[in-house]
Amino acid sequence: MKSSIVAIAAVMTTAIGVAGLTDGGFLRQDDKKFNSLSAANQEASVAVGSVADKGGRSSAAHFTEVAQAEKPSEEGASQAKPEPVVDESALRYFAAKGDTARLQAEISRLRSLYPDWVPPADPLAVPRNTDVALETMWRLYSEGRYAEVRKAIAERQAKEAAWQPPSDLLERLNVAEARARLVNASELKQYETVISIAASTPSLLTCSEVDVLWHVANAFAQTKRPERARDAYLYVLKSCENAPERLATVQKAAAVLPYATLQDLLALERTTPEGVPEFESIRDDLARRFVAEGDEDKALAVDPRYVQRVETLAETGGAASDALLLGWYQLRRDNMSAAEQWFRRAHDKEDSASASQGLALTLIARNAPAEAEAVLYPWRASSPDALATYFAATANLLAIDPPVALDAAVLARIAQETTKGRDAATAQQFGWYARALNQPATAALWFATALRWKPDDEPSAYGLALSRDQLGDKDGVVEIQRLWSGRSERIARLGEVKDKLEEVNRTQVPTAEAQAYTPPQSSTRATAVAEVVEQPVTRRPRTGGTAQKAVRSGAGCRTTINPAGLAPQAALARGWCLMDLNRPLEAAEAFEVALQAAASQIREDAAYGQSLAYLRAGLTNKAAVSATKSTQTRGRVDELQTAILADRAIAAFDAKRYREAILFLDQLGQISTRRQDLMVLRGYSYMNLKYYAEARRIFEALAATGNRDAMQGLAAVEASQEIWPNKN
Amino acid sequence: MRWRTALFAGLLALMIPVAAGGAEEGGSVSARDWEQYKARFLDAGGRIIDDGNGNVSHSEGQGYGLLLAVLAENPADFALIWSFTRRELLLRDDGLAAWKWSPTETPHVVDINNATDGDILIAYALVLAGERWQREDYLQAAARIAKAVLDRAVLDHGGQTLLMPGVSGFGTADRPDGPVVNPSYWIFEAFPALDRVAPSPRWKELSDTGLWLLGAAQMGSRKLPADWVSLRTTPKPAQGFPAEFGYNALRVPLYLVRADMGDRDLMARLRKGIAGSDDALILSDAAGAVQTSLMDPGYRFVNHILACVLDRVPIPDSVKVFSPTLYYPSTLHLLGLSYVKEKRPECL
Repeated sequence: MKSSIVAIAAVMTTAIGVAGLTDGGFLRQDDKKFNSLSAANQEASVAVGSVADKGGRSSAAHFTEVAQAEKPSEEGASQAKPEPVVDESALRYFAAKGDTARLQAEISRLRSLYPDWVPPADPLAVPRNTDVALETMWRLYSEGRYAEVRKAIAERQAKEAAWQPPSDLLERLNVAEARARLVNASELKQYETVISIAASTPSLLTCSEVDVLWHVANAFAQTKRPERARDAYLYVLKSCENAPERLATVQKAAAVLPYATLQDLLALERTTPEGVPEFESIRDDLARRFVAEGDEDKALAVDPRYVQRVETLAETGGAASDALLLGWYQLRRDNMSAAEQWFRRAHDKEDSASASQGLALTLIARNAPAEAEAVLYPWRASSPDALATYFAATANLLAIDPPVALDAAVLARIAQETTKGRDAATAQQFGWYARALNQPATAALWFATALRWKPDDEPSAYGLALSRDQLGDKDGVVEIQRLWSGRSERIARLGEVKDKLEEVNRTQVPTAEAQAYTPPQSSTRATAVAEVVEQPVTRRPRTGGTAQKAVRSGAGCRTTINPAGLAPQAALARGWCLMDLNRPLEAAEAFEVALQAAASQIREDAAYGQSLAYLRAGLTNKAAVSATKSTQTRGRVDELQTAILADRAIAAFDAKRYREAILFLDQLGQISTRRQDLMVLRGYSYMNLKYYAEARRIFEALAATGNRDAMQGLAAVEASQEIWPNKN
Repeated sequence: MRWRTALFAGLLALMIPVAAGGAEEGGSVSARDWEQYKARFLDAGGRIIDDGNGNVSHSEGQGYGLLLAVLAENPADFALIWSFTRRELLLRDDGLAAWKWSPTETPHVVDINNATDGDILIAYALVLAGERWQREDYLQAAARIAKAVLDRAVLDHGGQTLLMPGVSGFGTADRPDGPVVNPSYWIFEAFPALDRVAPSPRWKELSDTGLWLLGAAQMGSRKLPADWVSLRTTPKPAQGFPAEFGYNALRVPLYLVRADMGDRDLMARLRKGIAGSDDALILSDAAGAVQTSLMDPGYRFVNHILACVLDRVPIPDSVKVFSPTLYYPSTLHLLGLSYVKEKRPECL
């Protein structure tokens, strides 16, 4: 046992393993202890001196001896030792007091210190200390009045210059004061002090002071040294016999150590004489604790036996809390169906914020946002996280494409919560939703509201501009364009060529969002929304995976953060998520971070994503640069080139540089099948260059397929030719 | 120059510890006075009790207790108070003392923050005790605290070396008017002693800054320093504290005198600002208006010690004999008496 004591001290101070100790290690440690004994111990040096004089042993000697006992091949036995003088004053004091427990402890202690020492046959009959003053010191010591012992010693030394206190008393006093100080420091969370005291007082680290070991282990754990904490707890389980203390050790360790580390401790479980594993009584709690840790850490592989144990508890005991643990555990591992089952069980057993939130997340994941909204509504205010999940549910609900019919009361309460929570993202969704229902005035209101809460929300500004344009509010559009000048290409471009508006939108958004802003005619739901005049609705098609994940995580990419700190993979995911939210400039930043990836696949995806993002933001030149940042598959190269050239063609056309536009369209023709919208553009370019024959040929061919734009173009050509000579 | 003199005196004291003890047998605090003091303010477990403040204890009180035990030449009481102080207060990870201890709370330490004057008093007393009684452990403990003060409670600001009242809460980033200092935390006599165990040019710099501060921080018509002074710009009373020359600052003249610091003009200005017509010590506000007239002999002694040092005015009988009243004024009383007995016996 003693060797283990030394071992743990060594672990603490030198970090060498239990097995790696040598005699030299002990001696070094003891040297350190006595030389650097900072802790104000003149007494300590006195102790060493006086012990040496008497040929006795300081604790340094005692550790050396223990080490020798462990390794008898060393010099130990051959040395001629002077007969030690055994200090029996403590023995006499405890005997005189009839304190048999302390008496026995003292006998054991002296025996381990002095193997040759023979204890008195009848310890209770040993003569009393004749030194009354010393007797008083022992009494004060045994009553824990250590400061008064110090005073008594100093008083006596002032009177009797030659008098030295027994080394045993000093050693015990040092240890007792250190112990009290260690406990005080631990209670005040001064963990460095705790560890420093323990390191300089190794004799405290024994099974008889198991609470000190707990304090030290906790100090290590609290100062982010879980390995050292584990070693301290391991020491108890390896060396100490007291059953309740062993059990408490595991409980304390479970409160501060991670799952994997704790398994090292559980491996030391013993079987009781009755044949029961000694930690059986806390096994259920341990299983809960492990599953709960799995709730926090998706990557943690909890032994299935613990998961099953909690499942059995949940099924037999029926406590909602156990079902909840399992729900979160499965949710973190994307086992949505199992998670939903456990959350539902918890929800039905005892509805709670956590159960409802978990259930709502699983419902959102399987595309049942309406039920998610209904489940979470009563708990929306229970926590910021619950509210975020609630808004995720409402956003998903409103974003379903095509829009679903919603009860007016549900719309009203979502609107109310959005207003109360000042959730800009949901307000923006309401804007798109209202646009989808062809209510541009309501949409404008919501977009403006979103902008008030989040002034840099470009999509809301864009939505507002679109809605004002639809309402014929030219001044309003110009105002937004002025405010966003230099910050959003698509806002700047809006309404420049009214005829081309649809086309521009389509070209800028080459993904599934191409038709995003085409107002669907949905008279059946118009009534419901019309009543939600001050409220929100969302409409934004999602491409699936990424958006769902974003919502599931509760926060997704709605929060504005600096992506620079993200790992490439995470940055990539955030980029796509932002694209889903139609925040292309932020997406481009996220993709930029992902471009730093080592993996070529991630770089490729990032370059592709960034190109799309810049295209959507109307920054064609940047898109072209991004497209070259990584090699791409043929299909993607064509897609990006098509989009880039189309954008450039449109930009040239808008700038009345028609030859340039045709040049871009020619290049485009070499890589891509001809899109009808771009052929219309080519027709107008020719027309504006007064190549009327070319223009007519193109418009006629297209008009034959029923293209309405082409028909208008044909009419325009004819009109131009008609008027032209007159003008000339 | 004064610094060197003080340092030299300190060295002499180190070499001939007994000779520094004063005229009569025993310490500069008489055994009788010390017995009376500790009967009232020192409990059996080594705790100095602030009976004017809910019977709590603090690092400052423990430091005063240790210092008085040294001055009373009582190593046993010193050991007693030190044991309590180390076990109950000297717990912070950074090696400084927690400042406040309550007998009725659990844990007893109710505020883990430090108070730098308490740390300095404890370390100073440990240096004196270690030197006087050849206790290496006391000197080592003193060195550790002194180094922690330098590391944690000293701030460079505007080219000056400031003594921060606590490790946290008073710095430039902590308060809009930070740094904020307390002139009465400059225990001038301690700095040369701390320099002996933790040598550093900082101690001298601190001493210089303290003197500068007393010259610069003059409030109202009485031209007295405030208890708490903001040094954000020019020295002015700190926000959130009463703008007054109060219970903190009233120690300043005593500390100056005990350290043999401060020129005649400064002493005379302080004397004029604090002396009441009826022998009272006057606490005053920022405008110089009287807030309180303190009649406790311990407070009044501050007036008399200035009169003694400046004009050799004898200490009147009414304050010459120590009789404990409350912890704080009684402590100041003994520190004052100790100085006069040792350095100005002609005033007794």
